Amino acid sequence: MSDFALQMEHIVKSYDNVVVLNNVDFCVKEGEIHALLGENGAGKTTLMNILGGVTPMDRGNIVLFGAPEKIASPAESQAKGVAFIHQELNVVNDLMVYENLFLNYELRKKFGRLNVKEMCRQTEAIFDRMHVSIPPRAMMRDLETSYKQIVEIAKSLMQNARLIIMDEPTTSLSPNEISNVFSIMRGLTREQHVTVIFISHKLSEVVEFCDSYTVLRNGEKVASGSILLENGAKIEQSDIARMMVGRDVMGVQVYEPHEIGDVVLEANNVNVDSRVDGVCLTLRKGEILGITGLLGDGKSEFARAIFGDLKKTGVVRLNGRPVNIRRPSQGKRKGIGYLPENRKENAIIKDLSVQQNISIVTLDQCCVGPELIHARERKLAETYRDRLNIKVTNLANKITSLSGGNQQKVVLSKWLSAHPLVMMLSNPTQGVDVGAKNEIYELIMDLAKHGVGIIITSGEAQEVIRLCDRVLVMYHGKICGELKRENNELTEENIMILSTGGTLN
Amino acid sequence: MNTKTRGPRVAALKKFAGDYSIILITLAMVLLATIAQGKTFFSLQNFMNILRNHAVIGIIAFGMAFVIISGNIDLSVGAQLVAVGAVVISFTNATGNVALGIVLAIVTSLALSGLTGLIVTKGRVPSFIVTLGMQYIYRAFCMYFMSGGGFYGQSAEYKMISNTALFGKIPMPVIYFFVMFLLYYWISRHTKLGRHIYAVGSNEKASRLSGINTDWIKIASFLLLGIAIAVAAVTESSRMGSINSTSSGNAYELNAIAMVVVGGVAMEGGKGTLIGVLFGVLILGIINNMITLLGVNVYLINAFKGLIIILAVLLQRKERER
Repeated sequence: MSDFALQMEHIVKSYDNVVVLNNVDFCVKEGEIHALLGENGAGKTTLMNILGGVTPMDRGNIVLFGAPEKIASPAESQAKGVAFIHQELNVVNDLMVYENLFLNYELRKKFGRLNVKEMCRQTEAIFDRMHVSIPPRAMMRDLETSYKQIVEIAKSLMQNARLIIMDEPTTSLSPNEISNVFSIMRGLTREQHVTVIFISHKLSEVVEFCDSYTVLRNGEKVASGSILLENGAKIEQSDIARMMVGRDVMGVQVYEPHEIGDVVLEANNVNVDSRVDGVCLTLRKGEILGITGLLGDGKSEFARAIFGDLKKTGVVRLNGRPVNIRRPSQGKRKGIGYLPENRKENAIIKDLSVQQNISIVTLDQCCVGPELIHARERKLAETYRDRLNIKVTNLANKITSLSGGNQQKVVLSKWLSAHPLVMMLSNPTQGVDVGAKNEIYELIMDLAKHGVGIIITSGEAQEVIRLCDRVLVMYHGKICGELKRENNELTEENIMILSTGGTLN
Repeated sequence: MNTKTRGPRVAALKKFAGDYSIILITLAMVLLATIAQGKTFFSLQNFMNILRNHAVIGIIAFGMAFVIISGNIDLSVGAQLVAVGAVVISFTNATGNVALGIVLAIVTSLALSGLTGLIVTKGRVPSFIVTLGMQYIYRAFCMYFMSGGGFYGQSAEYKMISNTALFGKIPMPVIYFFVMFLLYYWISRHTKLGRHIYAVGSNEKASRLSGINTDWIKIASFLLLGIAIAVAAVTESSRMGSINSTSSGNAYELNAIAMVVVGGVAMEGGKGTLIGVLFGVLILGIINNMITLLGVNVYLINAFKGLIIILAVLLQRKERER
């Protein structure tokens, strides 16, 4: 009897002569939360797809709960107690909680009638096991995202999962929700002997919530071990980051002092129905202004309103002149750029190529009269591919074939080519790995040096602390505090106090 | 050595077959029809027949392609063709001015399509519903003003538009068909508008947030269809010498949509090419022609058409998933 829930040994996988996994060993002890780390393209997803029966491996052994296994299909993997919870939630919003839990596994009475009572009873039982209380008949739509995730976990338990793989489960959660999900996962590992593999880019969570880690880089295992070191301290985030990237990144100073000019944007008493409440701010040329706060505090709504995507009241001035922006196309014409959050939904045009996604904002530059000159478009795309170091073999490839970090660089370059006066970025490094993250920070810093006024709205305190000259904290649609780099006020603690409604003394 | 040299070549061949499956299907059908019917099918005369008979719906299909790529649909094209045809015939009958009649046809059609586009975008009503309603309205007004019958063209000059042939061999409707194809192909590939239509159909939200005026792009797609309908209406009413409120334009919308989807345009928008649509028109043309030449029972004709439509799209779906 081994105390390993999973042992994957000497796993080899290649696609078209490109080795994706090279002799990788990956072992997870029973009852632990194990973080699987690595940059995009390091091979995490492939490794988990092999375990999940989605991709066949070329060579290697898998031992699951002490028994050697061959996993040929997702159904087989599921039957052996492996559950895969994907980044995108797999729930039906228009059904009730218990209906979601029993989707495709409905309990029936005679004549095929649904046994609603029994399903609700079992739903309550499983939530009891998890120490959460969600009414079985609540509509899925009405649940917070973290609870939706918990329902998904419950669903996998319902199918007797003993090993749960969670792929970046926390990208859409607020800090409170994240600790909520993790405390439930922790309970499960202790009481139900469930084992969890956790894939994430957020190293702070890994250090805070996981037991051990494995780091992959370029298809090879570079490190693994326990989060808790022998001396009783926890491993440093920067150490993990260094293992992931192969060089020191977290410690890299991103912020550089730069010249700050005249006021470029002035917002006076901006309201967006009840979500943004009387926001006033000024932004100077070359200044990086952060707006942060908890989920639902109105920061991204403010940015969308300024760009013209949401209806607003209030006065906005650009270079001192009042502007009336009611549509994004007008915002763009007046010199505002906006990189939205949730890239896949709001920024990527999936049927267009990399080149076409880069040129979408500034197609005018590639036209002579009404005619679009493809050679010019190509040149524009090549310029930004090289400038932003976008890794793509062919600019005619679909945008969806790129990794998250490279997709984000494409989205960024479409706005860079428009040379905006003011650039607003919402969660600019969402779903981007550590290496690309730093590159994006450097680009933002570079823009500021060229005199662009920059607003970053982000829920990640570290992000605004590392980049910004000045940070505004929002709480329930209002600005409740201002922190300045020059006064050394940019700390996680200060941001936390303000964003939870407290005051600084 | 074999795997090294054959691998890429087979892959390239497969990619070619995938990208141009529609052309291969067309060639296969030509081959099949030639084997079955020999010279009756494979003659310049018969090819011109096929093209002339499908020029009108084909022209509409080119416009329809833009509307579908932008993420909408138009079910009113047949009825709109009758309305526009009625306007141009009654105008030329009254004034004898053919050129002005054609301009009037285009203006009328643009106004109708523009109205549809406005209701769809500003009113936020699905285009399926709007154009379903429009179809009834156009048809009803035509029947009312034409007392359920038709208008007959009295201008000999007007009838010349479609009933002459270039070099005595190529019927004018075929010329209009290819001119419209070239124009719309150019718009789809070589203009900003064309690119934006694809973008809006693929991801409307991201397009809007890229500073594209998405409402205008959708209206513009309807306007492009409006121009196509005007050209089709003039071609049709000139060729027939008349337009009829009950028998003209029936099921043109469905035939045009069939050509578009057989041509590889996805109903969910964002995907497809005008070259594909051109071959979609040819495929449906060849099917109709084959069925007629083979003397298939008239009642069964549509069953064959339906089968081919489903098969063609099924095949493309498989290609795409690979």
